Amino acid sequence: MDFLAEAFRRAWGLLVAGDSEVYGIALLTLKVAVVATVLSCAVGLPLGYFLATRRFWGRRAALTVVNTALAFPTVVVGLLLYGLLSRRGPLGGLGWLYTWQAIVVGDVLLALPIAAALSAAAIQGVDPRIRRTAETLGAGSWRTAWTVAREARFALAAVITAAFGQVVAEIGAAMIVGGNIRGSTRTLTTAVALYTAQGDFGLALALGLVLLMLALVVNIALQVLQGRGHA
Amino acid sequence: MLELRGVRHRYEGRVVLELEEFTVPRTGTVSVVGHNGAGKSTLLRLLALLEPPTEGQVLLNDTVVPRRAPASLRRRVTLVEQRPVLFRGTVRENLEYGLQVRDIGRAAAKGIIGDVVERLGLQPLLSRRRHELSDGEVQRVAVARALVLRTDVLLLDEPASSADRAAAGALYRALSAERAARPFAVCIASHQLEDAYRWADDIRALADGRLSPVTPENLFRVELPAGDGVKTVRVGSIALVVMTDRAGPAVVAVPPTDIFVSREPLPSSARNVFKGRVTGLAIEHRGAGVHVRADMGGVELVAAVTAEAARDLALTPGGAVVFSFKATAVQVF
Repeated sequence: MDFLAEAFRRAWGLLVAGDSEVYGIALLTLKVAVVATVLSCAVGLPLGYFLATRRFWGRRAALTVVNTALAFPTVVVGLLLYGLLSRRGPLGGLGWLYTWQAIVVGDVLLALPIAAALSAAAIQGVDPRIRRTAETLGAGSWRTAWTVAREARFALAAVITAAFGQVVAEIGAAMIVGGNIRGSTRTLTTAVALYTAQGDFGLALALGLVLLMLALVVNIALQVLQGRGHA
Repeated sequence: MLELRGVRHRYEGRVVLELEEFTVPRTGTVSVVGHNGAGKSTLLRLLALLEPPTEGQVLLNDTVVPRRAPASLRRRVTLVEQRPVLFRGTVRENLEYGLQVRDIGRAAAKGIIGDVVERLGLQPLLSRRRHELSDGEVQRVAVARALVLRTDVLLLDEPASSADRAAAGALYRALSAERAARPFAVCIASHQLEDAYRWADDIRALADGRLSPVTPENLFRVELPAGDGVKTVRVGSIALVVMTDRAGPAVVAVPPTDIFVSREPLPSSARNVFKGRVTGLAIEHRGAGVHVRADMGGVELVAAVTAEAARDLALTPGGAVVFSFKATAVQVF
């Protein structure tokens, strides 16, 4: 117990003192998570809407693929991406391996199925008359989609939260394609793993607490946004 | 003018609508009657350009509508569904929705909405949200939301199904006022014949997805004389005794089940007694009932009797028959 208490004390001290390493890692994690969440939702939400509302050949298969991708192991995504981004890989020319951009790509690949599959389910839950009504009142495709999305706003906010949760907590891909380079690609999860392995439990715990607070703040922010909505 | 030509529409392989031709004239009022499941709502969805027919064409003012109707064409037709929904937001925001879509400025939108709100008595509801409204109020708001758009064609699916009689009356009065101010085509689907009679330039019956040659029976347009109580009106060569306080143009209907059928005139309280000849017998209700058609001197009437009664009376095409019904049995719309 003393050991844990000591770790907590150290963690608190690092946070209060504004330790540059801790906050540097936290900021990088936030940057990667926000960019990856925005990108995955920018593609995933429209894709989910499309899958939920359009009838086309292969739709069921597409939904199955997206749902299966929900369970994609993060290390496998990291491995595949490593193959693509490595110097001899087809995307090696980009020079993105061991950069934060590579982590973003990995995170987007992992969060995209979440955004697409869960938003498809959310849109399917909207009364189909909403879409028909928007259309019969003359709304074009975008306006109709926006109207339907407004009706599913709570569920879609949960989708964004889930995507952010996936991205911020992900470690496999970040470790493999990011390389956990200090000051460059070290994120909260990779740092926690590293410092725990090195026996610096206090620092690892401080970073873990920051990670938890980050998730908490984002969730509270989304809840506040949801609370502003009326029926 | 909105037309369907050679339409066959399928859901999951099953033909749910089959219409060689269906037209809603430019400023006409068409009522489509039929039981639940007859295909009325499907017909309205095709007319509203919400979905293309599996086979056949939809034409708007003689122009073939593409399979994926562009918003510019959809904006000329609007549909109020049987159980309409309101969007998130206030009633006012709902009324503004279609106008915003059409890029109509705030000032102009306010004027248009004000007129319709006044006609439908929606002023007290403007700041309410959907969960604060009754079903009847939602229906009125939905009709108002469609009326403010001033489309060429207004399609209404059972527009008064959730409204009480007074609210339904207000709704129809508002439609009349709107049409008086600006002629447009209206097509109402209803299983309530009263709605149909009230509106019909043209009543069409739909049964199993097809236009039925059997329009609602014993329907006549008449001119009711002034005065209260019992009146006699001419329907072709026959004089119909009706009990009503109404005057002027009206539609009268005699429910086939209210007609008493006999071979000879019988002493009774019925004020309407017509002698004629049987022109057709049709078995209904899986053999339990028979529709007896008879020519009463140029006017065809239909009566419904049980199969047993038809047998006892030995009714045959060409045979003599007498139809009797009370003046109070005649419905006036």
